[in-house]
Amino acid sequence: MNEMVRRFLRQRFGSPAIVTALGLLGLLTALQAALSNPESAFGTGILAVALIAAGSVSRDASGGALQMILARPIRRTAYLFGRYLGILTVYGTYLGVVAGLTILCVQLIPALSGPRPAAFSGLALARGVATAMLNAALFAAILLFFSTFLRGYADVLAYVVLQVALGAIPMLGAALKRPAIEKAGEALRSNILPNVAWGEVLRGHQVLAEPTGRWVLAVTAFLILAAVIFSRREFAYGQD
Amino acid sequence: MIAVRDVSKTYGRFGRRTQALEGISLEVRQGETLGLIGPNGAGKTTLLLCLLGFLRPDSGSIRIAGLAPDDLAVRARTGYMPERLGFDRDLTGAAFLAQHWRLAGGAPAEAGREVSAAAARVGLEPVVLLRRLSGYSRGMLQRVGVGQAMLRDPDLLFLDEPASGTDPLGIAVVRERILEARARGATIVLNSHQLPEVERVCDRVVFLSQGRLTQSQTLRGESPAPRRGNVRVPADRREQAATALRTAGFAPEAASDDSLRLSISSEEDLARAVKALALADVPVLEARSSADLEEMFLRSPAP
Repeated sequence: MNEMVRRFLRQRFGSPAIVTALGLLGLLTALQAALSNPESAFGTGILAVALIAAGSVSRDASGGALQMILARPIRRTAYLFGRYLGILTVYGTYLGVVAGLTILCVQLIPALSGPRPAAFSGLALARGVATAMLNAALFAAILLFFSTFLRGYADVLAYVVLQVALGAIPMLGAALKRPAIEKAGEALRSNILPNVAWGEVLRGHQVLAEPTGRWVLAVTAFLILAAVIFSRREFAYGQD
Repeated sequence: MIAVRDVSKTYGRFGRRTQALEGISLEVRQGETLGLIGPNGAGKTTLLLCLLGFLRPDSGSIRIAGLAPDDLAVRARTGYMPERLGFDRDLTGAAFLAQHWRLAGGAPAEAGREVSAAAARVGLEPVVLLRRLSGYSRGMLQRVGVGQAMLRDPDLLFLDEPASGTDPLGIAVVRERILEARARGATIVLNSHQLPEVERVCDRVVFLSQGRLTQSQTLRGESPAPRRGNVRVPADRREQAATALRTAGFAPEAASDDSLRLSISSEEDLARAVKALALADVPVLEARSSADLEEMFLRSPAP
């Protein structure tokens, strides 16, 4: 699995397009974190995860690299979880760099334009980074799941469709005045895409509350489903 | 070593199904080099992918040394070169080979030495290895592909068009590596359209057509395939040569390249033909024999 993580890091950090995009996104995030509450400044993290994780399996499969790797004595799950850990490692590195840039901005901004922003605190920055990382763990698991059976970058599109669909069901229930549909839609949404108040959890509140459990369950379920699908998948190219 | 029993494979679903393989049964002995021959769409690559465990047959079974094709113990002994080379183009040749050395279970500390040796075996200069694969020509990529397949001297080699797109020197390099693997007892399955190369390295060939195995022909060992002899003589002596060969019991036919074509059963027959020409005082410019795979390919029975 280590070899797979290393390969993923080489692929992503070896791509000038991804490094440039992450650099720009990181700079914007760092400025926002320095100028406002750093705990809530990492909302753009989802874009960074999408950049890093999109097509992580499907593009290997369509390019043929996967077949060469899987001909080696390596379990498919080792490959798959290597990709997942690779995504989180790259994103963790990105967050580390952004945190460093944020601190730099906090030091530089007063020197350039005035007093240090009052809202900034190192602890809030750490909580923001941790929240972004935890949200990325679920998002990356979902993208990985879709990438095991969809082509190209369709995993990102599937995530958007999933978001929209899960949001639409309760609205549809409400519009039709069918509480059962509304309730079922809410239950689906809170189980498939649980919204955890990580800020509270990281402050030591509601650590073992229902949303945290749902988050653990969702991450586990998406990873297990990805492993099951990927282990059973066939890899063909051409039909000579 | 490899036992394929009544394997069928279909692609597609919901009324748009393509029968890629139908009732394929064959065995490949330990140390044997088997060539897969057939037109495009015959099912050769599908069969190869089934042998590698990337495709699951709809029916039938495949066992390699008594194990499933995707068993890790089989994988540890396998070298594979796909027709479509899926490289990480941002890697250097050296990094790519080192990665596959480690994936194959090689000690990381030995990677540098083994990569250099593998590259040298396929004729890649050390300086080329430092370049990114995105800058490699098709021929160079083929060589890297062959190099990675041969890493750790695998017992089992699955090669899908290994010399496709390479220059004559590259073809010779690939041939030498296959012969080298054969000499150390590797079992090899080779899919190639380059029939002269198949003939040079394979012990046996099987013909596939529309997903079915239509013919199996031994090229070496017991009961080899009928061979073709070609004898080239000066154009003004062809009539005399044909008469001498007929007297010696051959039935020469004029070939398109101005040579005379003979049906022979062994190399000794060719030597006898050359001797007959020498006794008739006809100069022999060239004499060679081949298994005539092209002829067999063209005359291969329809499924």
